[in-house]
Amino acid sequence: MTSTLEIPVADSSALTTVTIAGESDLLLVRSTMRDYARQAGLGLTATTKAVTASSELARNILRYATGGQGTAAIEQASSGQKRGVRATFTDSGPGIADLDLAMRSGFSSANSLGLGLPGSRRLVDEFSIDSAPGRGTRVAICQWDR
Amino acid sequence: MMDSITDFKVMRLDQAGIVRSWQAGAQQLTRYLPEEIIGKSVELFYTAEDIANGLVETDLRAAAKAGRHETQGWRVAKDGTQFWAYVVFTVVRDQAGGVRGYVMAVRDLTGRLEEEQALRSVEQMVNSITDCEVIQFDPDGIVGSWNPGAEKLTGYAPVEVIRKHISMFYTAEDIRAGLLEREMAAAVRDGSVGAEGWRIRKDGTRYWANFVLSPIREGQGEVKGYVKVGRDLTEQREQERLAKQQRDEILELSTPVIKVWDKVLILPLIGTLDSGRAARLTESLLERIAADEAEVVILDISGVPGIDSGVAQHLLETVEAARLMGTESIISGVRPDTAQAMVHLGIELGGLRSRSSLKDALQLALRLVGNRTEFAKGGVGGG
Amino acid sequence: MAEIAAPIMRMGQDLLITLQPDLDDLSVESIEQEITSEVARILARGVLIDVSGLDVVDSFVARVLARLVRMVRLLGADAAIVGIRPAVAITLVQLGVSMSDVTTALNPEQGMARLREMRADVSAVGHHDIYS
Repeated sequence: MTSTLEIPVADSSALTTVTIAGESDLLLVRSTMRDYARQAGLGLTATTKAVTASSELARNILRYATGGQGTAAIEQASSGQKRGVRATFTDSGPGIADLDLAMRSGFSSANSLGLGLPGSRRLVDEFSIDSAPGRGTRVAICQWDR
Repeated sequence: MMDSITDFKVMRLDQAGIVRSWQAGAQQLTRYLPEEIIGKSVELFYTAEDIANGLVETDLRAAAKAGRHETQGWRVAKDGTQFWAYVVFTVVRDQAGGVRGYVMAVRDLTGRLEEEQALRSVEQMVNSITDCEVIQFDPDGIVGSWNPGAEKLTGYAPVEVIRKHISMFYTAEDIRAGLLEREMAAAVRDGSVGAEGWRIRKDGTRYWANFVLSPIREGQGEVKGYVKVGRDLTEQREQERLAKQQRDEILELSTPVIKVWDKVLILPLIGTLDSGRAARLTESLLERIAADEAEVVILDISGVPGIDSGVAQHLLETVEAARLMGTESIISGVRPDTAQAMVHLGIELGGLRSRSSLKDALQLALRLVGNRTEFAKGGVGGG
Repeated sequence: MAEIAAPIMRMGQDLLITLQPDLDDLSVESIEQEITSEVARILARGVLIDVSGLDVVDSFVARVLARLVRMVRLLGADAAIVGIRPAVAITLVQLGVSMSDVTTALNPEQGMARLREMRADVSAVGHHDIYS
């Protein structure tokens, strides 16, 4: 049985962790995502979508996490010939009580205080969320170059 | 490799070569029960040919003379099966210095012999491979073997790498990231691991290696080392990148966005639209809108075989994205069956204008543009 | 002197405000104040919000834009968003951000034409505009 190991592309740094505690950190999250996306050779649209999703998820942390704190771990991803960028957003906030509802399309909109999770999911190739009351939230996204 | 003492089956012989003592292990190896063998000659273990050649006397005499005699050869078990044995005779002397008897220790090498033969043929094969690197290294990462392919790939001769650490081929970033350890751990965990990564040649340049790393085990047991078989994919990777670039460019060119009039674009959608193609078409259309400063776009769907909710979804998204860029859209080429299907599927076009023929759509488009042009000139309404 | 969060340019009775990337709560507040006070001061008839400098528009920024448009309209002027980039347009649609009640245009030039269009519609209904 052969497993395929995801190995970071050795062009530059493999992983960047951003502590999210203030507005200026959102800037850093966006620019870091942009850099990694460029290194992975993502096109403009794929990059814009990934950066936008990251902005949404990072902003959620600022707004809803306990103490408005959390982290974004951004790294190169590769699988076979594909290259991409992966970002994991973690917070030890209150957690999402009804994950199912929160993930349902139409639950959030531009005018409500929704979490924008279904929207973010649509923008990226891979999306996984792990959350429960008292356990905080972890969202991982991945965008590939093809 | 140290042989374990328990691998040897020991028996005692008297000075005439008669078996005097017997172990369970010896029984296991040769299948003789004690009562069947004690008191019999050691000849029983020798092949008929060897007996005819006087090998028994030769072995015993050699042991008596030198005190210790090592030999290898075929021996025979009770049922007639032969096994390749490694035998050590040690003489036991009496107080006068004469031969009192012998201790004969036997080790079954049959498995090992086959293993050695196999290994040799593998070695030969490995040495004949020049387009793949085949490298062996031990659990500590020390390189043990290096094939011509590895030399060709990296520029290093065997003497420059054997007994050096395998990390000499890894990039500094990968070493910092602990990549080698992770690869080795994955290989042990899963039986083998396939991966790709940058490696470094003797001249300092990088190559993109595609490889399989497997652990070498002692039977089913502990890991004795690793073998890596890899090839240089740098060129392929570059070619792939160029090919993809070309494909994208061709896709750009072949995306049939047609400018029919100042500020009016037509996108004839032809064929089936999968998600990937639809996304690319939308991207191209929006880029063209920006480039040509289009104000109206006609999406002609007469060439789309079946309009389902997926296609409709893509269509509506494209229309909305175009609207965000200030462009109005008109759907044209709606056939009777398409209209039926869309209503049945519950596909709502909202305020999106639709015309059945391209001609009608074009007329509408020109009217819309004409209206706008008026305002652009600062005509009606002033400001 | 404080950095101008978003330069405002006057063109007759219309205003053009160019948003800079990386908006935060503070700059949004000051932009809202500036825009509303300018619209009121010159009795502006139209406001164009130029977002061509934004390569990422997330739901926060989209809400800011929607709010600006509402404020402008409450003050009796028309508003249009101009310069949404292609990648941003697709992203907004897929993000599910609804901007359906917002007027849009490709660039300030087209935006001005749209503003006049909107005024003409109003005129056609019966208002008499001394500038027509």
